[in-house]
Amino acid sequence: MSALLEIEDLNVTFNTRYGAVTALDSVSLHVNAGETLGVVGESGCGKSITALSVMGLIPSPPGRIAGGSIRLNGEELTTASPARMRAIRGAEAAMIFQEPMTSLNPVFTVGAQIAEAIMLHQKVGADQAMRAAVALLDRVGIPSPDARARDYPHQLSGGMRQRVMIAMAVSCRPKMLIADEPTTALDVTVQAQIFDLLNEIQRDFGAAIVLITHDMGAIAEMADRVAVMYAGRVIEGATADDVLDHPQHPYARGLIDCIPNIAKGDAALREIPGVVPPLHLLGAGCAFAARCAHANNRCHTEKPKLAAHGHHPAACHAVQEGRI
Amino acid sequence: MSTVLDVRDLTVRFDLPRPSMFAARPQLEAVRAVSFTLEEGRALGLVGESGSGKTTTAMAAIRLTEAAGGQVLFDGDDLLKLSAEQMRLRRRDVGLIFQDPYSSLNPRARVVDIVREPLDLMDIGTMDERMGRVRELFTLVGLREDQLSLFPHQFSGGQRQRISIARALTTNPKLLVCDEPVSALDVAIQAQILNLLARLKQELGLSYLFISHDLGVVRHVCDDVAVMYLGQIVEQAPVATLFDAPRHPYTQALLAAAPSLKRRKSQGYTRAMQIKGDPPSPINPPKGCAFAARCPKSRQICTEQRPTLQKSDNSRVACFFPA
Repeated sequence: MSALLEIEDLNVTFNTRYGAVTALDSVSLHVNAGETLGVVGESGCGKSITALSVMGLIPSPPGRIAGGSIRLNGEELTTASPARMRAIRGAEAAMIFQEPMTSLNPVFTVGAQIAEAIMLHQKVGADQAMRAAVALLDRVGIPSPDARARDYPHQLSGGMRQRVMIAMAVSCRPKMLIADEPTTALDVTVQAQIFDLLNEIQRDFGAAIVLITHDMGAIAEMADRVAVMYAGRVIEGATADDVLDHPQHPYARGLIDCIPNIAKGDAALREIPGVVPPLHLLGAGCAFAARCAHANNRCHTEKPKLAAHGHHPAACHAVQEGRI
Repeated sequence: MSTVLDVRDLTVRFDLPRPSMFAARPQLEAVRAVSFTLEEGRALGLVGESGSGKTTTAMAAIRLTEAAGGQVLFDGDDLLKLSAEQMRLRRRDVGLIFQDPYSSLNPRARVVDIVREPLDLMDIGTMDERMGRVRELFTLVGLREDQLSLFPHQFSGGQRQRISIARALTTNPKLLVCDEPVSALDVAIQAQILNLLARLKQELGLSYLFISHDLGVVRHVCDDVAVMYLGQIVEQAPVATLFDAPRHPYTQALLAAAPSLKRRKSQGYTRAMQIKGDPPSPINPPKGCAFAARCPKSRQICTEQRPTLQKSDNSRVACFFPA
């Protein structure tokens, strides 16, 4: 089976006052139809930039796709015309953003905003689009959808707004849904509702989901496969169970061990010392070397490639050399 | 073991806008008769969702928000009855760490001055002694002395939170109020700060009033937990009891909603308990149990009467049908 979304050796650079900074460095990912890929990492690791590249939404300038390819259903997106990208966005790939309040337009009713997305991609009239919008609001679990469709975003709670975003994203039944930290702004019981809704939508619509998150718990609950990112590179990729139960890369191990667990509250948490280095100061070696207990000379001078050794692929010399 | 903080029937009300020019000002009851005690050397977690009143409760307990009623006994004195000057002098016994390390440090002050300022304000010691104390604190929280004269923007989020912690500890307080101290940090950094807080609690014998929405963090840091919902404590218990055998349906829902590495999609995990909707508005709270509208166990009595906290063993729960 060929993948629905294939990202190969994607490089994205940003012009900054430090010169051209590499935000994504040879990122390769694939997403199969109907599955959920979790992309996890700390702030600044490039997970959102990956999502924006797929949607053709990298602010340019200063950003630029410097190399590599993104194929959706076999179609190359990095060279697609702006008009073609507009046709793809919403219809074939849709995105759910982090902060529903800033991504909805405050001066239009939510019904009108969903209807707009429908009319842009389908040949339907305003009335029919509005009826479809109400049906979608109902589908995403908003009570009295008729009345809510006439509400403005500020009249809805955070959870409701995120449901509206989801309704808008699935309005044209895209095959690919990218959810960029969809629940960070929400309370935990509402987060659970949104996760359950996304899973339901996936079952009903058969959409593939890319879930971008910093929360390993969310990965466990939602993802079939995981890509762990660090400083613009994918450092480990495998099924969710493999990564969570047998993390290979020292960073992935640290990330899993440093989470306070609700199931047990014992001993000190394992720490990852130091902080993520600024991207403009990355040297020739592994970006994690300075924080890594297993780093040797090679780690500081040569970038490890994502390659399988033993359990599953990890970009780490120490793993590949069998030192850990 | 002595009690550091004994809060009794603490109530906080906020004024709402007048509906018309001559109408009385309606009020919102953000904290409704909350009582709890905090023992020396222990950490009490206040958990709940946004708007549940956890921050307001803590701020009212240390008089940073005006309380409408109740008592706060701190070392035998009722803080709510102290004069402004007496209260100012007591402030040295209470430290405070805020959520956002970016907005809680003055961007135009050097960090040495930020950490020393409480000593200046309280007029404690000579300048040399104060500087010595600042250096001591810097080492204690894991910063270097050569960073003393830098500005906040030259530090990362985690380091800034260390500066906040140093500032909170300057006057050697007994009680530290931590308001979501790690929720703005990445998980790897969060672990560093949580370990630091755990170490300081043990070394200095501090008591924490720890506000958080993250149950994993609370389980890690706290000895006791109080779960708040719409301005009231609905369940309080020692941390292991609350997590392993939650009795209030809301606590159960909260635990079911928290993501955990153990809950795997691959193993067909589906949430055992799913609650619908959002918390009700505190402006017009329901007559009965605040959770009744979302509760799967709700019966008629729940919507008619408000359950009160019932004590059993060392836990308390406010529910007509607790597990």
